[in-house]
Amino acid sequence: MPGPLPRQKSNTWWNQRWAYRIVLLRELSSVAVAAYVVLLLLLLVSQVREGEGAFASHVDVLTSPLLWIVHLVILAFAQLHSSTWFALTPKALPLKLGGRRVPDALITAGAYGAWLAVSAVVLVIVLVVA
Amino acid sequence: MTSEATATRTVTLEVFRYHPERDDAPSFQSYEVPYREEWVVLDALNWLKDEVDGTLSYRWSCRMGVCGSCGMMVNGRPRLTCNAFLREFMPGPIRVEPLRGFPVERDMVTVLDDFMGKLTDVKPWMIREQEQPVEEGEYRQTPSQLADFKQFSMCINCMLCYAACPVYEHEDEFIGPAALALAQRYNLDSRDQGNAQRQELIWSDEGIWDCTFVGECSAVCPKHVDPAGAIQQAKVEATNSFFLSFLPFTPPGMGR
Amino acid sequence: MRPSNEPFFWAMFSAGGMVTALLLPVLVVITGFLVPAGVVEFAQLESLFDFWPVRLVVFGVVFLALFHAAHRIRHTLKDLGLRSVATPLAVVCYLGAIAGSVWAATVLV
Repeated sequence: MPGPLPRQKSNTWWNQRWAYRIVLLRELSSVAVAAYVVLLLLLLVSQVREGEGAFASHVDVLTSPLLWIVHLVILAFAQLHSSTWFALTPKALPLKLGGRRVPDALITAGAYGAWLAVSAVVLVIVLVVA
Repeated sequence: MTSEATATRTVTLEVFRYHPERDDAPSFQSYEVPYREEWVVLDALNWLKDEVDGTLSYRWSCRMGVCGSCGMMVNGRPRLTCNAFLREFMPGPIRVEPLRGFPVERDMVTVLDDFMGKLTDVKPWMIREQEQPVEEGEYRQTPSQLADFKQFSMCINCMLCYAACPVYEHEDEFIGPAALALAQRYNLDSRDQGNAQRQELIWSDEGIWDCTFVGECSAVCPKHVDPAGAIQQAKVEATNSFFLSFLPFTPPGMGR
Repeated sequence: MRPSNEPFFWAMFSAGGMVTALLLPVLVVITGFLVPAGVVEFAQLESLFDFWPVRLVVFGVVFLALFHAAHRIRHTLKDLGLRSVATPLAVVCYLGAIAGSVWAATVLV
C-alpha cells in the first residue's frame, strides 16, 4: 500500500510571502555592508592617504550620477539593516528591571537613541573637530 | 431578512486532497460552503464533512485555540483553523492545505513523528539532581523568576511555527522552533536543574545554530510564545559560555 | 555530538551587526554625499587619518563589518539552497572577510 506523501521542499520559499521577501532583503543588506566598507570606505581612505591629487581625482569619480545612485541604494540598505537590527535587539537581549521585563519597544527606542548619539558624534568629529 | 441573506451567501473552499490508496498525486478540490459571519474555517470543514463529503480528513478537537490539533495552511499561512474566521478571507476563495514541511498521511492529516521525537529529545520536563522530599514543601519561585520563562510555557504544540520555518523545511535535522523554545522554558525555570543534560543537543549545529532568525515562527504563533526570541537568547548564553570556557577560572554566578 | 564552533562566528556577526547598525548610515552620508559635495574637504580628512586612533577605529569597523557580512551571506546562501556545500561555502565567505581585513590593514597602517 502506498505510504504518506513525503515532506515537500521548495527552493522558492523566500518568494512565497511578503514576510519572507522582507527577511531576504534584510539578509541581503549584508552584501551592501560588505561592498560599502571595501569599495567605498576603504578606497576613499586609501586615496586620502595617497595625497591631495589622488583624492581630487577620486572625488571627481564620486560626483558622477551613477555613484550618487549607488550611494543612495547603499544608504537604503544600511538603514534597513539598522532598523531591523534595532527591532530584533530586544528579542536577543531582553532586559529586566525590578523583576519585570522592560517592554521591547523601550529597548528598541534606546537603540535608536544610541544610533542618533553616535551619528551626531561622528558628524561633529568630521565637520567641527577635524 | 439579513440572516437569510447571509445564509444564502457562499464562499469557495479549495481543499487539498490526497488519499494514498486512491491518488497518485495530491490535488485541490473546490467546494461551495455557506458563508456565515461567525464561522471559522474549521466550521466550514466540519460542514463539508457532515453534509458533502465524509471522506474529508483533518484533525481537530477543542474548537477554542487550546488543543493545538487543527493547524493547517490557510491561504498559504499556517493558522489554527478554529480561530481563522471566514470573514478574514472574503470574498475568497480560501485555500486549505496541510501544514507545510510535514509528510501528509491523508488530506490535511500530517505525520507528526519527527516533531514528537524532537520534542522528547530536548527533555521538556522538570529535571532535578535530587528530588526534595514532600515534607519540605513546594519549590518556591518569585514573580520575577516566573517572568523569565512564562511566555515560553504557553506552547500548545500546534506546529504552526514549524510550518512557518524555511530552515525546518530544508534541514531535516533542525530541532525547530517549538522544541527549542520549550527547552529554553525549562532551562530558564529556577526550579529546574537539567540545563547540562539539554545543552549538548540544544547548543549543537542542529539546535539553535541552524536558526537564521527569519522570525516567522513567532509571527504565526497563536499563543505569542516567541520561539525566535527564545532561540536568540539561547545563542547569547551559548556564546557567553563558549568564551568563558577559555578563562582559567569560573566567574561567580557561572557555575551551572 | 560535536560541540559547535558557531558561537565564535556568531559573536563576530553580532558585534559587527551592532557596530554597522550604529555607524553605517552616517558614514555613507559623509563619504557618499558630504565628500563629493565638497562639505568635507581633503585637509579635514587628512588630519583625521593622521591621528592613529581614528585609523584603528576604522579598521575595527571594517573588520567587524566584513565578518558580519560574511556570516550573514553564508547563512543566506545556505537557506537559499546551498545546504549541500555548506562547509566550502563557509570557508569562502570567511576567507573573503579575512582578505578584506588584510587589505584594510595595509591601507590603514
